[in-house]
Amino acid sequence: MHQARIVGVGMTNFGVHDQPLPELFSSAAFDAMDDAGVDAPAIESFYLGNAMGGQTERDTHLAPTLASHIGLAGIPCQRYEDACATSSNAFKHAVRAVEAGQHDVILVGGVERCTPTTGLDTPEMTSVFASASHRQYEQPTGLSFPGVFGLLTTRHMHEYGTTEEDLAAVAVKNHHHGTYNPRAQFGSETTVEEVLESPIVASPFHLFDCCPFSDGAAAVVVANEEAAADFSGESVAVSGVGHATDTIPLADKADFTATQSARDAANQAYEQAGVGPDDIDVVELHDCFTGAEVLAIEALGFFEDGEGGPAAANGETALDGRIPVNPSGGLKAKGHPIGATGVAQLVELTEHLRGEAGERQVEGARRGLAHNLGGDAGTTIVSILEVDA
Amino acid sequence: MSDAGLPDPLTHAEWTAGLRDGRLLGQRCVACGNETAAPKAACNECGSREIETVELPTEGTVYTVTTIAVAPAAFEGGYRVAVVDLGTEGNARVTARLEADAEIGDAVAFSDVLEVEEAVPVFR
Repeated sequence: MHQARIVGVGMTNFGVHDQPLPELFSSAAFDAMDDAGVDAPAIESFYLGNAMGGQTERDTHLAPTLASHIGLAGIPCQRYEDACATSSNAFKHAVRAVEAGQHDVILVGGVERCTPTTGLDTPEMTSVFASASHRQYEQPTGLSFPGVFGLLTTRHMHEYGTTEEDLAAVAVKNHHHGTYNPRAQFGSETTVEEVLESPIVASPFHLFDCCPFSDGAAAVVVANEEAAADFSGESVAVSGVGHATDTIPLADKADFTATQSARDAANQAYEQAGVGPDDIDVVELHDCFTGAEVLAIEALGFFEDGEGGPAAANGETALDGRIPVNPSGGLKAKGHPIGATGVAQLVELTEHLRGEAGERQVEGARRGLAHNLGGDAGTTIVSILEVDA
Repeated sequence: MSDAGLPDPLTHAEWTAGLRDGRLLGQRCVACGNETAAPKAACNECGSREIETVELPTEGTVYTVTTIAVAPAAFEGGYRVAVVDLGTEGNARVTARLEADAEIGDAVAFSDVLEVEEAVPVFR
């Protein structure tokens, strides 16, 4: 089996981008190709993540459209849709294709526009996001996506005593990290008081517990070890990728606080990489809502079940803490253009492993983990990147 | 093999018709006993297609709940959505509107049907 490596990375700032998807994506894709030192003819396949283009901008069959915009027409192109885990699934399949020897060099990317400024208004976009929940047995109740995580988090608060202040501390920490990230949508600090005084979106979440609507794009070049050695980009190894799903609707899940698909995906990734949670130096995880970060740090094995609540308030997940979580600012501060999010996590980790993350650099980071969750915790993909694997 | 008079297989249309008759219909897996209030073509626990339609209890307890303030386009914010545990051996739970101040663990009962888009149960 070949060793897949990330050899180049690129992403746009996350925020508002008033340009069509091909133009937005081309900027991230060219940054990744230039960072890798890879010209278009070397790229053998294109794996794209875009979750909602058909609903939000009447734009489908995007993989060949975007490929044509960046000089890649003719190669096999495919688009993935798995709600918020969309581009991690594109990445997983690219990694497997390289490992299997099917392709030597692949462009993987994601792009999405979700802001009311460039697309649908908040109620319409809330409906589009809710379309990832069960069409017959959840959506007609008026369940929103903040509501989905509200149901999971309220149960966690009941079982373990997690508090609204614990949740707010996640937002405070991720906003603080975001101040060090020039690509972040929110580059400003917040406080526990400000979070708790912001209006409720879906209990227990206040506005400042929620990630924003964002536009943006991200891309990476994946290559096998021989090809990577020929390119100028400083590459990192993809040492493990796990992918699992859980029952939809939520009501049929055995355990609401486990996010079982994250546990299953993490176990697969740890096993493939031959490591465990104690071996991870830096984490980018799916904090679409503050409660989602609490559930994830437990599911990934960084904290015992029930102990994830106070972690942010105690500084354990801060940049200088025991296990730095979301140095980018996470979805909360960096932003969450759905289809770009998974690959953007890999961009961030690669920069840490190269020592190029600037003020937010996790010093000496040699192994990073990305956790990207989609839908009613229905899909989770966990990827482990490392230096010199 | 379902109870006499219950639709078999249980479709979404039959499930919503049941709600309008004041009945909460679900399924029990003949092979493993797992139950669901969201009808499917096979059991999610064991994959068996041998599933029977059952009439689920119309009383249960709140398993978890959220108050939705910012609502999807078809809805007016300020309502509660809950997952209600129906207390059955097969662990059936249903997603419902909650028109009560009930919190986790409180007893609630199926009382009504909400039809903004499609029929869903209301508990209070």
